[in-house]
Amino acid sequence: MIAYTIYLPQTRELLKNWATELNVYVPTMVEDGFYEFRPWNGQVEIAWDYDLCYTTLKRFFLPPREEIISFDMKKYAASPVIEAPKQLLFGVHPYDIKAINQLDQLMEMDNPDVNYQARRDNTLIFGLEPVHVAETAFWSSMGAASVDFGYDLYWTRISPGAFFVQVGSARGEEMLKVGGPVEKSSVAQKEAARRAHLKVLAEAQKHSLKYDWQKTPELVNKFFNNQVFWRERSQTCLSCGSCVLVCPTCYCFDVKEEADDLLQKGSRYRQWDGCMLKGFAEIAGGHNFRETAWERYRHRYMRKGKYIYDKLGELGCIGCGRCVKACTARIANPRAVYNEIWEAIKNEV
Amino acid sequence: MPAKPKVAFFDFAGCEGDQLQVANLEERLLDLVSHIDIVRFREIKTEKRDNYDIAFVEGSITRPEDEPRIREIRENAKILVAIGACATIGGINCLKNFINESEYKATVYGDFSRWYSTYAARPVSAVVKVDMDIHGCPIDKNEFARAVKELLLGKIYSPPKYPVCVECKMAGNICRFEQGRLCLGIVTRAGCGACCVNEGSVCWGCRGIAPDANMDAAGQVMDEHGFTWLEAQDHLRLYFGCNINKL
Ligand code: SF4
Ligand code: SF4
Ligand code: SF4
Ligand code: SF4
Ligand code: SF4
Repeated sequence: MIAYTIYLPQTRELLKNWATELNVYVPTMVEDGFYEFRPWNGQVEIAWDYDLCYTTLKRFFLPPREEIISFDMKKYAASPVIEAPKQLLFGVHPYDIKAINQLDQLMEMDNPDVNYQARRDNTLIFGLEPVHVAETAFWSSMGAASVDFGYDLYWTRISPGAFFVQVGSARGEEMLKVGGPVEKSSVAQKEAARRAHLKVLAEAQKHSLKYDWQKTPELVNKFFNNQVFWRERSQTCLSCGSCVLVCPTCYCFDVKEEADDLLQKGSRYRQWDGCMLKGFAEIAGGHNFRETAWERYRHRYMRKGKYIYDKLGELGCIGCGRCVKACTARIANPRAVYNEIWEAIKNEV
Repeated sequence: MPAKPKVAFFDFAGCEGDQLQVANLEERLLDLVSHIDIVRFREIKTEKRDNYDIAFVEGSITRPEDEPRIREIRENAKILVAIGACATIGGINCLKNFINESEYKATVYGDFSRWYSTYAARPVSAVVKVDMDIHGCPIDKNEFARAVKELLLGKIYSPPKYPVCVECKMAGNICRFEQGRLCLGIVTRAGCGACCVNEGSVCWGCRGIAPDANMDAAGQVMDEHGFTWLEAQDHLRLYFGCNINKL
């Protein structure tokens, strides 16, 4: 493992350098207690100790609305549109990196998503070890407390003025050295990083699943036919989609078209969609595969707890806790629902 | 539909804010107009002809004499489009439906109230068949342009059925409920891009109740977030008046 030690004043110089080459985004407090990734411009204050960035980072690879084809109605011609600005996300927490790793795999399966991949290829990710844990998060019990890949650099704050920076890719190392040579980390600094990780892990474990996450697919599957359970929990579901739209591992979209004002050219674009919305599973002729809110509600837990696992061997939920906050009806919490199912099944035997 | 359909605008009880939004399209309007022939539009021209294919109707039905007039428009038009909340859902005019007739008459017309006939406000669709709705108070000019283009391409534009929250999430706003504010986005039909929330306000529900909105759940959500029934009612009545009798 190659690692360097970077001191706080150096970060400013590095950021300046990086920003000349690509769009740099950093976590910052946008409102009391709410954090977002915003463009770094020298003025924004980096929230090194943020607990959760409010909006999912998938928007950098799968924007809420993205043009994918432009066409000419007079010439009957169409051409793909692929936009992929060079960008750097600096300060991504491990659970969010895990979510991106998962999206990378899903977007590559079957028909590779070229728009996604182009954006992804032009993105550098610098991870950051969290120091605070969001009230709603439970990532430590979803196998998302640390990641082995998916970052170009991984930063851990080991003292108020220093970072232990682990190298994840050659490109990452290069970026670290743009301003000149940097100091190799010592064994003691590596140890400090390990301790920082253990500290936040202990904090994170306060909110966790009550059982080993690997059991989730089997548990949730056993509950599939428990209509009473799903109906009861979903009674106050507003079918608003917030829980899936904020989710870093959800990737569903709808495809639409619009003509220009002269009705000569047009564009086909995609736009976020999600299985919690009623129109999502509606097909031509008006048939809907998941007509009722409870079926959609159940489907989401099946996706997160089983279907994604069947494809990738990991859960479709990394425990960031965004959906828990986003759901105004307070019924979208996977930790609560999976724990409840586990309890119920445990008591059966 | 003829190659260059004739288009007319009409108004009933409303503020003409929607037609103003159309006029606000400015240069874009010129591009659109190359495909249509506007025969009647108070906001931008005085001359009018009563021969049209598409009628855009703004405003609510609030008086007995509105009825024959809207029926005639319906008969003349091949396609009738309701524009703006007053026309699509009754809009804020329906606020008066919550007080009794003599009271609102006296408030508005004072001593002359007996000279005026007025009754509970209703959307255009309560009297005649409406082919397409363009929601909003006022309408969104981009959505209007889009709906017109779809008509010209032989389609009927249908606005999203999901609630405003979807677009609010796409816009990346912090949910108003998390800020301790009441927001009707959870039950309001989307299509505006959550513009009021984007601008720092809350959703007031101007696009009407989303087709599959769970109103019972919304009541519970507001309650659980600590809002009183009166606060909720104040919000709900502003635009949802015509859809819900019990508010
Ligand atoms: S389901 Fe919820 S907690 Fe899990 S990854 Fe998605 S938003 Fe985060
Ligand atoms: S959970 Fe629903 S919205 Fe999310 S990816 Fe799956 S199907 Fe799509
Ligand atoms: S579970 Fe909550 S966030 Fe998800 S659709 Fe239902 S009400 Fe909306
Ligand atoms: S602010 Fe309003 S529209 Fe936006 S997510 Fe919250 S409830 Fe929905
Ligand atoms: S946010 Fe709500 S009140 Fe504002 S335009 Fe949209 S629907 Fe109307």
